[in-house]
Amino acid sequence: MTPTVAPIDFRSNAAAAVQDSLLRAALRNATDTFAAKRAQAAACVPLEELREAASGIRSEVLGNLSSYLDRFIERASRAGAQVHRAADSAAARETIFSILKQHRVDKVVKAKSMVSEEIHLNDYLIANGIRVVETDLGEYIIQLASEQPSHIIVPAIHKDRRQVGRLFAEKLSCEYSEDPAQLTKVAQQTLRREFLSAAAGISGANFAVAESGSVVLFTNEGNGRMCTTLPRLHIVVLSIEKIIPSLADLPTFIRLLPRSATGQAITSYLSVITGPRKLGDRTGAEELHIVFVDNGRSSIVAGEYRDMLKCIRCGACLNACPVYRTVGGHVYGATYPGPMGIILSVLLEGMAKAHPLLDATTLCGACGEVCPVKVPLPDLLRRLRERRVEEGFTPAIERAGIAAFGRAASLGGLFTLGRSMARVLWPLMEKLIDPQTLGRLPKPAERSFQRRVR
Amino acid sequence: MTRDETIDRFLENVAAVAAETARVRGRAGVDRMIADLIGGDSVVYCPRLTELERSIALPEDRVTDDYTSASVCVEEVFAGIAETGSLVSTSAGGRAVQGGLVPQHHIALIATDRIVETLDHFFSQWGDGPPTNITLETGPSRTADIELTLTIGVHGPGRLSVIAVEE
Amino acid sequence: MRVQLFATCLVDTFYPQTGEAMVKLLRHFGVDARTPRGQTCCGKPADSGGYVRESREAARHFLSVFGANGDPIVTPSGSCASMVKNHYPHLFKNDPGLRQKAEDVGSRIFELTQFLVHVCKAHETGFKGKGRITYHASCQLIRELLVREEPVMLLRSMQGVEFVPMPDAERCCGFGGIFMGKQPEISMAMADEKLDSILRTGADTVTGCDHGCLMNIADAVKRRGADVRVTHIAAVLAEGLP
Ligand code: SF4
Repeated sequence: MTPTVAPIDFRSNAAAAVQDSLLRAALRNATDTFAAKRAQAAACVPLEELREAASGIRSEVLGNLSSYLDRFIERASRAGAQVHRAADSAAARETIFSILKQHRVDKVVKAKSMVSEEIHLNDYLIANGIRVVETDLGEYIIQLASEQPSHIIVPAIHKDRRQVGRLFAEKLSCEYSEDPAQLTKVAQQTLRREFLSAAAGISGANFAVAESGSVVLFTNEGNGRMCTTLPRLHIVVLSIEKIIPSLADLPTFIRLLPRSATGQAITSYLSVITGPRKLGDRTGAEELHIVFVDNGRSSIVAGEYRDMLKCIRCGACLNACPVYRTVGGHVYGATYPGPMGIILSVLLEGMAKAHPLLDATTLCGACGEVCPVKVPLPDLLRRLRERRVEEGFTPAIERAGIAAFGRAASLGGLFTLGRSMARVLWPLMEKLIDPQTLGRLPKPAERSFQRRVR
Repeated sequence: MTRDETIDRFLENVAAVAAETARVRGRAGVDRMIADLIGGDSVVYCPRLTELERSIALPEDRVTDDYTSASVCVEEVFAGIAETGSLVSTSAGGRAVQGGLVPQHHIALIATDRIVETLDHFFSQWGDGPPTNITLETGPSRTADIELTLTIGVHGPGRLSVIAVEE
Repeated sequence: MRVQLFATCLVDTFYPQTGEAMVKLLRHFGVDARTPRGQTCCGKPADSGGYVRESREAARHFLSVFGANGDPIVTPSGSCASMVKNHYPHLFKNDPGLRQKAEDVGSRIFELTQFLVHVCKAHETGFKGKGRITYHASCQLIRELLVREEPVMLLRSMQGVEFVPMPDAERCCGFGGIFMGKQPEISMAMADEKLDSILRTGADTVTGCDHGCLMNIADAVKRRGADVRVTHIAAVLAEGLP
């Protein structure tokens, strides 16, 4: 018997979020700012050409993922890195924990990584006695508040400066301030000590370069550089699809990723790390481990939703999504929110759990317009809705309504005597729309249009 | 693009990301400029690996080999990328790339003939054998994680000064 | 010139005046609009819900009604036009005969403003109107049919009308077909935000090319008791006919 999974209660979550005026103001500010900056930055480059090129590179990699992975592993190993492959979250967590245990590490500094959220790494390490310090300011805020990120680029997007001020005052016993610069300084000072005393750093990677065995990290704060160069041990955790063929392909993604994410032409820091510290080097961890997380991606890449794995996690589709803008990231109840998140959640966590998220879209198409690697988001959403119907995850009353609609829609000839389409449409609306809303909507006209023009 | 245009473009883009810029001909002006930038009480880290680095006059009593205790890092960077206004440091030649990251103020010298036009020029040269670490630094460290309010100087330097040196 | 008018289920059921306005408008440009008997719904509600079988049933019926002759088809809805043009071929991807027919019919379907501008060449209508009008750009119209300028061009060409662009005119109003039924809380919040944008223009009338969106916007207007007229672009234009 298959275990029953509780579906995510997106509708109730969303209904609560809609009432949260602080949250909504923060979201409007953030998504408006990002969308405007992205549009401005995108206007400075031949965007369509770049999207086409980036999409092509990503498709090429996904079409031959296992050979690119093999090449990466060979080259990274040659450069001295130790590469691990984890089939699922549990395996990835254990791999990382055992590396840390072997080195008797009791504290790690972490740079932002969405895949580490996906595999629930922090909880696991903490439960096993390891202190984990998130060092990206947004992640740090979230960690102090014991929350989940609500955006893949700006994890604390849902909090305003007063909330952060109160949180810092409480958890860090500092004076209350609502000045972002002052709050940043407090975090920086606290974290500086952590960096210099940590024996291990864990980071994600934006890309892994097959030809050279390098991992590439984009950061703004400098915490990524700290995590990857100061501690003796550096563990990179990333999902298998993050490969690009060669360093010569990197410029295309440099031109697209920060522009799409924050509207910057490039992030403040970009690190290309190839293996651990070598003889004569004064930079780099003494040991570099790279942990590839599969979590079902090998089968996704072989199927009809492969294009989703082109995603480079820029967050532009979140910022463009009118639903995300209205309810924020937490209501999705999954690692990845927004349009890309709906799709990834269904693919990674299963239809039974994630199908309600498929209602979190109007299929307006705004996401598809901004995606820098041309993931056909609206099309994938639509196809997953079809799959949800096929697999029987829509409510019975909706199925009955649509079935009646389908029959009536194909029998137009029988109803030429007036109010014809009312008979098609109204039963459907009565089944799908709640009575309150229905009560406010117009009633079918006395004489339908077809009746009038006869 | 002519050399001069490339250098100008580079400095323009560096300035656009909130860094200070200067262009000097010959090494003569470099010492003065650095002395001004360093100020009276900072502790200076300078790797002294390149000829240019070795030629800089520094207040010897305030020089340290430990970048974690320095407030200023003076170093010659490996390359510059005009397209983005990026400085490039690499681990090649025993350089500690993080040396430019930890101190509060980063003073980067760059030989103008090390400035390339585009990201493609820079990234097409490595093939399968890049050094352990290549870092592009574009402007000072920043965050906008609180209400998207831009704050300069988080974990990296809050101040970045770039001096393009023309031999 | 003769065209087939596809009224859409919403117009037929709730907004027959829009259909009548279209007939008048088209007549003004010398176009004889016939309304084929037995037309129902394009199937869009089923299609966006993921119900392939039911959308195919509706599509098959549509193709038999409108495929009977080779006249162009004009419809007062960007989303229905896109359904026929862009989604039908996909519905019949495994049925070469129907796919061919879907492509043929799809190549002949026009959203109203698209038809007026591109076929009737109604760049300068010279129609008369009054008041301040703003316009909501519906999602499938702009992103699937790529009709962005046409409605605005027509509205701007009306004498006596002050056209005021709406901030974020291209942001979804929250209708989304069955979305409105399944996520009423978000849908209403989105419509409220749309109404805020509308009110910011100071317009007395908001118009658009899709009755779905307009129905959702009208609901927001009603809930708030705002003083804005919500009306289809066909009606706005037809009122200005000489
Ligand atoms: S799907 Fe596209 S837009 Fe969305 S995060 Fe991924 S790359 Fe960015």
